[in-house]
This record gives sequence, structure tokens and C-alpha cells, in this order.
Amino acid sequence: MATRRSPLLLAAAILAVGLALSVVLSEYNLRLLNLSVITAIAVIGFNFAFGLAGLISLGHAAFVGMSAYTVAILTTATGWSPWAAIPMAVAGTVLFSALIGYPLLRLKGHYLALATLGLNVSFFIITANWLSLTGGTNGIPGIPQLRLHGYFISGERYFLRFGLVFLAAVAAAALAFQRSRHGRAMIAARDDEIAAAMSGIDVTRVRVAAFALSAACAAVAGALFAEHVRFIAPEDFGYVHSITYLAMLIVGGEGSVVGAILGAVLLTFLPEWLRFLGNAYLAFFAAMMLAILIFLPRGLVSLFRRRAPRRIAEGRS
Amino acid sequence: MKLLQACGVTKVYGGLQALTDVDLTVMPGESVAVIGPNGAGKSTFLNVLTGLTPPTTGRVLFDGTDVTKLATHKRVRLGIGRTFQHGRLFSRMSVLENVMTAAETCRRGGDGAPRETAMRVLERMGLAAQAAEAVGSLSYGQRRMVEMCRVLAGKPRVLLLDEPAAGLNSGEVEQLVERLAALREEHSVAVVLIEHNMGMVMRFAERILVLNFGSTIAEGTPEEIQSDPAVLTAYLGEGYSHADL
Repeated sequence: MATRRSPLLLAAAILAVGLALSVVLSEYNLRLLNLSVITAIAVIGFNFAFGLAGLISLGHAAFVGMSAYTVAILTTATGWSPWAAIPMAVAGTVLFSALIGYPLLRLKGHYLALATLGLNVSFFIITANWLSLTGGTNGIPGIPQLRLHGYFISGERYFLRFGLVFLAAVAAAALAFQRSRHGRAMIAARDDEIAAAMSGIDVTRVRVAAFALSAACAAVAGALFAEHVRFIAPEDFGYVHSITYLAMLIVGGEGSVVGAILGAVLLTFLPEWLRFLGNAYLAFFAAMMLAILIFLPRGLVSLFRRRAPRRIAEGRS
Repeated sequence: MKLLQACGVTKVYGGLQALTDVDLTVMPGESVAVIGPNGAGKSTFLNVLTGLTPPTTGRVLFDGTDVTKLATHKRVRLGIGRTFQHGRLFSRMSVLENVMTAAETCRRGGDGAPRETAMRVLERMGLAAQAAEAVGSLSYGQRRMVEMCRVLAGKPRVLLLDEPAAGLNSGEVEQLVERLAALREEHSVAVVLIEHNMGMVMRFAERILVLNFGSTIAEGTPEEIQSDPAVLTAYLGEGYSHADL
């Protein structure tokens, strides 16, 4: 029975740890934690595409950016309330991802990686050059703050509490989904496409669904990012960020929601902790990635797993 | 009522004629074996029946409707199940989860929960004790049985088996034949079998289709096939009048 409740346990754990940290951390660390929370939501999304369905997508940051830009443009140029702009941005991004997913997902492996990378590069070029809409490389400043019951959600501490609610909800939903028949269908489509079809699974639909779900989480992260930083520019959503999401998921543990969160938090804080290394950080980062791929191919979460991870099925019957 | 029907199935790969005008009719509950030397087109024929490979010409009918253009997963949901020559499992799932996938997609009105359906199939096939294990820890014979269970969890009306006895020891083959016979008896599941183990073919099949270089060279009962001159030539070369197939 334990695993039925675990999505709620995960949400509770995120809220508890996050709220405790929101009390004790300094302003600077709170800012980093806010970025971690937002990034974690994006990486949980990336886990749907890469961890479950095995889609090597390197365009995830474009979906984060698309949503952030939608929020920014709707709230600044047309004066929408952020509360109306956020759902609009998420819906628009998901729709776009599904539409582009159908042709893109005919590609596999490295071809899909290259095509999605191209999508991210195109997004950067468009946002950097469509001056009238996006302000080009100057970006869009002055995105209005969210207001709740007449109070602005301002300051790192309050924004963190707000962001944690989103992270907890997304993480719990992702975990519940992963253990449902739909999650299983995604894993099946990755493990063996032909056997999946022969088990009655519509592989194309499952892939597009995984892609759209990953974009949905990216969109939530992008909207929160726009509301947190309140100034966005093209380089916030370059393809380097897509590759960072991939690195975070691999460090944390692909296929795992907890791993996605661990990886996002660790790789957001680590460059700050190791600032004294200067450019040598890149060498350290490379060595760490290699070490993880060799010694912990299933990521940091595998450190916490019990030796016999395949006992879950019994507990649930 | 014919359950599964292939009409004039032809498959051409570039200059290679993999299948030429192959016909097959399977009645409910019937057991048919498709035999032939390596490269005769047997697996290609199963691929056409299941929709993994579109035929160049010809049609496939299931339960009276034309399914030639129907996607694989839809045919599976209609009741065409299939196992593969080397067994294909979802390596990141437990035994039970593997079997549940098909129970979930092929669930029809009146079926129980997929988990219970899957457990029942595992019990029946003698794998209940391994339900929670990772598929990677199983023996080859058990892995093939798990694949069979996954197909059965989808409640197929016709079962296409690609060399199910390959790699099994004689005891396991014996068990497999018994279980398949029971399935036919109780649920009138039809079985189409590709097999090189002639002992199993002769004991299990009511009818045999012999392919060679993509064409049907003979079709008939096991007795007829064993003395068919064209079959003997294909298997043994010219000059034999009898073989202990």
C-alpha cells in the first residue's frame, strides 16, 4: 500500500524540506533555491520525454522559453493579469509541442536529438531577432508581479513558498502518472517499440503524449521563471540549458522524479559552491559526469534505493 | 466462420521476393503450423499478419473485416496476439508489469482489473512466484513464458507463435504443448505456429503450411506433409522418398 500514497508523501516531503529551508537560508541561497525549484519542474518534465519514453530531446529549453515569452508578452504588451497569462502560456506551449511532435517524433535517437536541437536554436534566433515582439537580445523587462489576495508575491522567501506548491503538485502528479498504465506504456515504448505495439500500445500516440507532457512541465517552469526573474532574454533559453536539463536528469537518475529534483538542485548550487575553481569548474563537471555515468549509471537516486528495488509489485497487490 | 485469413499475400523487398501469393485460412480454435527452411519467409508472413510489415499486394482479414491497413496495436486489441523468435520483453519492468501492459490496453467490458488478469495468467502458466522479479533475472525459458503470458493477458483469439520451442528443453516443450492445448480447448484460441522442432509440429498442428523461397509448396495434415515429395525435396534434396521429419 505504501506506493499508492507515495506521490502524496513526496509532495509533503518537498513542502516540508522547502519550507524549513525558506526559514533558515540567506537571501542569496533562497534565490538559488528558487531557481532550483523552477528548474526541477522543467527537469521532471524532461523525465517524461527522456526518462520514460526515451526521446532524446535537446529542445526542452525552447518550451521553457516559449512559455516565459508568452507570459512576458501578454503581461507587458497587452496588459493581461499574470494569472490569466500563465494558463494561456502553458496551453499554447503544449499545443505547439503536440503539433510539432507529430512530425518530429517520426525521427529517432540521434536524428531526433539533432532536430530538437535545431528547434531550440531556431527559437533563440527568432527571439533574438524579432525585435518588435521580443525586444531582441535586450529581452523583456518589467514583467508584473503575481498578486495573491491583494499582496504581491515578492521577495525570494515568499516566491519560494509559492514555487514549492507548484513543484510539490507537479512532482506528485508525475510520480502518480509514472506508476499508472500510461507511464507503463511510455516505458514499454522505450524498452521495445515492436513489443509495445504487439502489446496493444499506440507507440506514436504515447510518444507525442510524453513530448507534450514534458512541454507542459517546461511551460509551468517557464511561466514561473518569468514571474520570478521578471526580466527575460533569449540567452535564458539557449540550447545549453537543454543540455543542462539532460545533465541534471542523468546526475539525479533518469526515470525518477526524485532524481530529477536532486539533479536540478545539485547542478544549480554546485557551480556556485565551486566558484573558486573558476574555469576549472568545467573540468570538474566533466569528471563528475564521467564518474556518475561509470559508477552510478542510474544516478544519485540509486544510492538511496534498497538493494532489491523490484519488490514494489508485491506491496501493491 | 473464418477467424484469420491471408489472401494472396506478396512481399517484395527491392529485387527479393520474400513472399509470393501466400494464402492461409485459420478457423477458431484451429492449430496450424507454418514450416519451411530458414529464409523461407515464415517470420515475414507473421509480420504481415500482425501489421509490422505492410504487404506489397494481398489482404489480411480478421473476423470477416479487412485489417490490411490497420495498425499493429489495433489488430492486437481486436485479438491477434504474437510472440517473437527471441522473445521481446520490457527490460525495465517486473514480470507482472510486463504482463499488465497488454491486460491494460486490451481490456474489454466485463474483464477484471488488469493486475488481477495478469496475475491469473501468470498463475496459469506457472510464473506467479516470479511476478515481482525483474525480467533480467529469469532463465531464457522463463523469459519466453513471460512473453507468452503478456500476449495471453491481451485475450487473443488467434495466437501467432514464432518458434516458441527454440531454446527450451524437452520438458519445457512438453509443458508448452500441454498449455497451448488447454488454451485451445477452453477458450477456442486458434494457434499459428512457426517451428523447427518437428516433434512439436507433428504432435500439435492439425494442418501444416510449407513455405519455401516465399511460396507455398504444400499444405495439408501432418501425415500428408510427411510424405509430400515437394516437401522432401525442399528439406532433404532430390532422391528421397521418406523422411522422419
